[in-house]
Amino acid sequence: MRAVVQTEKLSKYYGNVLGLSDVSVTIEPGVVGLLGPNGAGKSTFLKLITGQLKPSLGEVKVFGQPVWNNPHIFHQIGYCPEIDAFFPDLSGWQFLKEMLRLHHFPEEEARRRAEEVLKFLHLFGDKDRLIRSYSRGMRQRLKIAQAIAHEPQLIILDEPLNGLDPLGRRKVIRLIRRLGEKGQTVIVSSHVLPEIEAMTKRIILIHQGKIFAEGNIHYIRDLIDTHPHIISIKCDRVRELAAALVKEPEVIKIFFTPDPQEIQVETQQRDIFFDRLQQLILQLDLQVEAITSPDDNLQAVFDYLIGEK
Amino acid sequence: MTVREKGYTHWEGELKESRWVWFPLTRLGIKMAFQKRFFKLFYFSTFLPALIFLAGIYISERLEDFRFMLRGSPAFLKITPNYFKIYLSNSLFLFILVLVMIFVGGGLIADDLRFNALQLYFARPLRKIDYVIGKMATLSFFILLLSLVPGVLFILFKLLFAGNLVFLRHYPWLPLAVVGYSLVLTLFFAAYALALSALSRNNRYASLMIFGVYFISDIIFNIFYQNFHHPYLVLLSLKLNLQQVAAGLFGLSPPYAVPWSLSLGVLLGLVFLAFVILQKRIRSVEVVK
Repeated sequence: MRAVVQTEKLSKYYGNVLGLSDVSVTIEPGVVGLLGPNGAGKSTFLKLITGQLKPSLGEVKVFGQPVWNNPHIFHQIGYCPEIDAFFPDLSGWQFLKEMLRLHHFPEEEARRRAEEVLKFLHLFGDKDRLIRSYSRGMRQRLKIAQAIAHEPQLIILDEPLNGLDPLGRRKVIRLIRRLGEKGQTVIVSSHVLPEIEAMTKRIILIHQGKIFAEGNIHYIRDLIDTHPHIISIKCDRVRELAAALVKEPEVIKIFFTPDPQEIQVETQQRDIFFDRLQQLILQLDLQVEAITSPDDNLQAVFDYLIGEK
Repeated sequence: MTVREKGYTHWEGELKESRWVWFPLTRLGIKMAFQKRFFKLFYFSTFLPALIFLAGIYISERLEDFRFMLRGSPAFLKITPNYFKIYLSNSLFLFILVLVMIFVGGGLIADDLRFNALQLYFARPLRKIDYVIGKMATLSFFILLLSLVPGVLFILFKLLFAGNLVFLRHYPWLPLAVVGYSLVLTLFFAAYALALSALSRNNRYASLMIFGVYFISDIIFNIFYQNFHHPYLVLLSLKLNLQQVAAGLFGLSPPYAVPWSLSLGVLLGLVFLAFVILQKRIRSVEVVK
């Protein structure tokens, strides 16, 4: 698959402050979540790949072309910044039209696109209202609208769910997934882990200006050998199952939970454990209600990686 | 439901790379200026001096009819390059331009800084130079409409009222002087207003600076000149530098015995400084210090 964004030893320093350090990463089409706590370097990374900042070291290429000082590449990039960036004395429709005109669309086409994207983001009814009278959620959707109105191949959304109500969040999450399904590349940054998890399984974890991990969340989880996996099993006769499991060499610990039909097993060899578990379930003829991995989520991966657990 | 099913479809047309990429910025700037309260009224009233000067040109061709009004001093209405110089560089006209800069220029960059619009602009196919040209063109529109357009119209009406080309034969270089001085005014005021607008995120402070720097420079000149009477002190005053250049370009003696090219040098130096400020201040993102 072709690389949409490629960075090579990318670093950015603000005087003595480290923004990003030695980041080499390749991003392919689809939705990619950029995760990290506040101040991790997510926005710096996004500003570097949108050509808003000049790298101190290294280089960024988007669609194989350098992004710094290359304005033509911006026909293919849509950027939604984290902070509000509007002209409050324009209406939403005027604002979008002007932004589209900067992409060299003829007047008529800019008008048509502005209307369509406003409909798409459920803002058409308020198109003639001044932006200053928009709610936070409306402004957030308008910001996303200006990033996708020119149909870019690469869409970069910096904390797009900030300020949205739960319904708005669901809509935007659905929108991002659809854009990914369409074949566009969407890079979404957030520090709210479940939000990213709802959009994509492909993540880049960033902390203290460095990339901690990248790839599929489950794959990353598997790589963390120092932290055992926890597997929760809900079935009838859990004590019988626990007695069988305790003899298995790959099992480290077994916990009984307040739920009398549930046990949690700690193992370092997940694949072998699952093979053995299947055999035991058949042997003991257990009625299994659920098998889950409570720590195989983004929060756990993130906490492990940044050393908070 | 996919994006396309919702009616958000591909456009089949072709995007043409335009050399005028800055034009949408200019158009937006002009549109937003006219959206300001009282601006239309103010701006149209600034054409009053031009109308009066135009009437003067008409009267100059009908001196016999208006002799009763002139009370024996028709020299007042002798149309020479001085007439054009007076229109384009009198203190009231320059003050009007300062007011236009306050109305239009004060927020031109300050508002973009305040509302974080630069990062949206620079996430589009727009270079910093395009941005500056777009903003300068906004201000140029308003300045040229007050300087170049009346200046050219004065010449045309003079020829029209006279019914011959004698005036142009006497002063064939006058159209060039009008264009040249209008461009000096435009370049100086546009760069001056933009630089001061870029120095603040608050358009009121920027407007105050546009007003203050212009008048303080004149006050400083007056203070020093009262004490030292040295003509070169004229270089301290923005207004007097503009008037010196006007005199030079219209082939007249400058009001102060200082070569007008020095005043032009001062103005161009300030324009250069303004561009340095713009270069430093126009960044798409805040830089952490």
